[in-house]
Amino acid sequence: MNKLTRLLASCAMGILASAPAFGHHSFAMFDLTRRVTITGVVAEVQWTNPHVWVYVDVPRSEGPPVRWAIEYTSVNHLTRLGMTRTTIKPGETIEFQVNPYADGTAGGRFQIMKLPSGRFFCDVGAVQQFCAENNK
Amino acid sequence: MMTSAWRVCAILCGGLMWSVSSSAQEARPVHPANSDKVSYAALDALPDWRGLWFPAIGKVGGTQPALVGEARKTWEAHQAQLKANPRYEVPETSDNCEPDGMPSLMTFPYNLEILFTPGKVTIIQEALMQVRRIFTDGRPLPPREQLDPNYFGYSVGRWEGQTLVVTTIGTRPGQRLGIAGIVNSDRLTITERIFLDPANRDLLHLEFTFEDPEVLAEPWRRTHTFRRDRTWEQIEYICVQNNRHRIDEKGQTVVPRIN
Repeated sequence: MNKLTRLLASCAMGILASAPAFGHHSFAMFDLTRRVTITGVVAEVQWTNPHVWVYVDVPRSEGPPVRWAIEYTSVNHLTRLGMTRTTIKPGETIEFQVNPYADGTAGGRFQIMKLPSGRFFCDVGAVQQFCAENNK
Repeated sequence: MMTSAWRVCAILCGGLMWSVSSSAQEARPVHPANSDKVSYAALDALPDWRGLWFPAIGKVGGTQPALVGEARKTWEAHQAQLKANPRYEVPETSDNCEPDGMPSLMTFPYNLEILFTPGKVTIIQEALMQVRRIFTDGRPLPPREQLDPNYFGYSVGRWEGQTLVVTTIGTRPGQRLGIAGIVNSDRLTITERIFLDPANRDLLHLEFTFEDPEVLAEPWRRTHTFRRDRTWEQIEYICVQNNRHRIDEKGQTVVPRIN
């Protein structure tokens, strides 16, 4: 992570940390106190605003895989953190950490992903600290 | 299907409206900002505010709001909800891709681009690509009752040396004022003082003063600081591209709330 990216990330972190300041799109449907790890095959990337969505097929021990819907922040924030529309591609197997839906729906709010290169990519906010420590 | 008589009438009426609007146009004043006599050379005297301005963390200051009347009751009700349930979110209309409007667009956690043209300062907030215009050509603020309340209000400004001083009225009642849980009435006046940090030209300071007799017992000051970035341009942000929040029959956002 270069200096600028880190500056911008910390910038976004400070503001998003105070939840009521983040007005536009509610995250009340997610359980922000929990983080679950899933590994699956990327089915679709919607590189769109206000939020990016990634659909992932997560295999089960029995039966067909379950499709998870992962909601990211905006294209704008992700671009400035270094993500592009081809950072993850359909067909790739990726490990994600998300704040799950509180009602048990298969999906969650994006937190961290481990890219095929082995590097981590983190959401804006406090979780940037994880990437700063693990991408040395 | 229109009958031919109706069609003739429609054409005549359309023509009449055209002549009314063009004669009204002739009576309208040409403000200096749009006059052909104004020079771009005057802009050389203004400070360099190019680049993008990102809100700086931990740099919000000012006074505490002295709330009155309904505003105080509403605030206390939200605080009680928050105390009972830390996951409580203050409901806000901007959930449905509506612009923040003034004053919130100035401090939304994306960035600002500030453009100078003769007699006018234009501020673009990257989030939702919101645009506000500040007229610095000496025109007076219109009487409040003549304004159609809107998201951004009507802003006039003047340069006090290298500080831009802006007065805004005419914002819609019910927009967020400063923090979630406080909204303005139709009597709000916003004063802004915007200037570069004398010791660091890559910092821009914004000092708000909110005055609203129906909401605040005294003027409420809030200060913000922005960091300049010269490497990025603004990125397009079309909120309706993939907005998932449903709008009800009253135009309000239906947000899934599992509190």
